[in-house]
Amino acid sequence: MKHSLLARIFYGFAALLVVSAFAFKIIQPIKVLPRIRLSPAFSLTDQNGERVTNEDLRGKIVLYTFTYTNCPAPCANLDATMQDVYARLDEANLGEIPFVRVTVSFDPARDTPSTLKSYADGLSANRATWVFATTDDEALLKTIIGVGFKAYYEKKADGSYAFDPTFILVDGWGTIRGEYRYSTEVSTADRILRHLSVLADEVHNATGSAKLAYEAAHLFLCYAK
Amino acid sequence: MKNNRFLPVLVALVVIILLGAAFYFVRPHTFHGTVYQSAEEAPNFTLNVANGKTVKLSDFRGKIVLVYFGYTFCPDVCPATLGVVTQALKDLGAKADEVQVIMISVDPGRDTPEKLAEYVKHFHPTFIGGTNTPEEIASIASLYGIFYEVSGQTTSNGDYLIDHTATLMAIDRDGFLKVVFPFGITSDELADDLKYTLR
Repeated sequence: MKHSLLARIFYGFAALLVVSAFAFKIIQPIKVLPRIRLSPAFSLTDQNGERVTNEDLRGKIVLYTFTYTNCPAPCANLDATMQDVYARLDEANLGEIPFVRVTVSFDPARDTPSTLKSYADGLSANRATWVFATTDDEALLKTIIGVGFKAYYEKKADGSYAFDPTFILVDGWGTIRGEYRYSTEVSTADRILRHLSVLADEVHNATGSAKLAYEAAHLFLCYAK
Repeated sequence: MKNNRFLPVLVALVVIILLGAAFYFVRPHTFHGTVYQSAEEAPNFTLNVANGKTVKLSDFRGKIVLVYFGYTFCPDVCPATLGVVTQALKDLGAKADEVQVIMISVDPGRDTPEKLAEYVKHFHPTFIGGTNTPEEIASIASLYGIFYEVSGQTTSNGDYLIDHTATLMAIDRDGFLKVVFPFGITSDELADDLKYTLR
């Protein structure tokens, strides 16, 4: 049985399509985290009474959260998520990329370095992997946390704070890549870890010609869920 | 009909080459800085400029605004960056009219609006240099990710130096942060990205 020329071309293309579809399925399209906006600059004092700035954290992936140590029970969830992410960090395949957690207190009057230190010790937090910090400059602190990180907090008359529990993921270039403000069915730690692995893939793979594919993924908004 | 056996292969090859060429010519522009897909406008700011006037970032909607944080006593990094920007604008030709360069002082203690105007004029007649109160500058700089502090070093004249993040930022015509360029970008690279953004 002889096929006409046109039919053979047609079958050829059909085969090519099927092969491409399989290749697409196997290779998987690249997913990225959006470059949301610049992470704010800051100079804070940590639990050891030493200065920590955004420039010190350049080159590291940083997970921020915002709280105060006098916070009643619900804030423990923030600490638990920070601990959970760190305990399961292997899932993110960060490799050699340094990762640091930073808890910023919006209550500098009570959260002095020594208070932060004993709070950190209570969580067995090591300064190298978990920084607790704040600054006495309350106006600037409000700009950094409230405007820069867009994490709402407000002091109430009784000295406690109303605030929205927030986690912010920042890459090594000082760009905000993930914001976690609302509870979903998926735990926040699960989402953060999945996003960390997407970010690690980009850091590891977006070099040479593959960079073009990653930039295209940014351009076409191929964002990870 | 013997020749026809290879014709489909030939056709497929030609198509693949054409697709490759098409991808090459319409591939996305590769920026020389980090590209942002901000969902909101870049933080607005107000600066005091020469002759008692003020300017706001939002005054320049419709133009690409290049925002740079520096200071007039800056010995090397700031002149180098502003020199690169000046050269890139020359490369743009008439299109340079659609770009506004704004230098924001990280040295509000020493940089007066007049001094800043005098300083930026050396680079380009259209550049704007502005400042504000130390508190306002701290807030603006923070929101643009710019860290700065008085360094321990002084010049031979005894003037103190200021360490600061040396990135250059491009805000698009609608006021959204588009690209952040690292220190060390060349004028060719900057002109290339500006031409693409202004197309």
